[in-house]
Amino acid sequence: MKQGLLLVLSLIALTSLCDTINQLFLKSAIDSLNFTPTLNIIKIFKFIFQLIRKPRLWVGFGFSLISLCVWLVVLSKADLNFAFSADSMHYIFIALASWFVLKEKMSTWRWLGTGLIVVGIVFVSIS
Amino acid sequence: MFKKKVTVKILLLLIVSDMLETAVHFFFKKSTLSVSQGQVTDLSTAIVFLKAAFSSPFLWSGLLIVAVVFIIWSMILSKIDLSVAVPIASFSYILVPVVSIVFLHEQITALRWLGVLFVLVGVVLVSLSSKERTEQAK
Repeated sequence: MKQGLLLVLSLIALTSLCDTINQLFLKSAIDSLNFTPTLNIIKIFKFIFQLIRKPRLWVGFGFSLISLCVWLVVLSKADLNFAFSADSMHYIFIALASWFVLKEKMSTWRWLGTGLIVVGIVFVSIS
Repeated sequence: MFKKKVTVKILLLLIVSDMLETAVHFFFKKSTLSVSQGQVTDLSTAIVFLKAAFSSPFLWSGLLIVAVVFIIWSMILSKIDLSVAVPIASFSYILVPVVSIVFLHEQITALRWLGVLFVLVGVVLVSLSSKERTEQAK
């Protein structure tokens, strides 16, 4: 059982990691377009059209597909309520990636929130 | 400029997207339950399993709802800030365990609920801190 838990947690970490990589590619693709938020429908469609021609976006989608496949394997092995809470691991990966890769500033509150998520996942896993 | 006013209409949209989000996870879980190919132990059994899962109507229902949630979520975010939307949407952390108990007959201990609570508070803090940062930058 212990070994099974470790396997499931590693697989969840893998989906979270793929999700994070997807988010990084998506963010990088969007940033490269210099888009300012607008409610103008034509501008939004133009933006989306430019976006889907970025190869980076499709690399991200590829990771997102891998993430879905691994997620289905996770669900075949674990309870949904456990997997769903443990999947918030991606908050940790995104925090670390934003910090290391995107060099974003992390506030104390954000570290605290990320810490609480870690504690929560530990509780959910040992129960 | 901050868009903070959460109107009744937006709140309803948030509740709908929460419920649909929960439905997505329920359908994904259902699709894996409907596969009778046995345990995934290595890559070849994983491929057999995934083939079966992708031919399940539950999975495609889930993916269809993902698209609907994406549209509703875009509508919500065009009206209010992400840092306001995420804490309200975090309701699904409670909704998924409830659906798991009622429809999937899973069991949840007190310690697990405590863990869910920690995750929930953590997610709310992370999303609130993004608002704080943008306000300081102004």
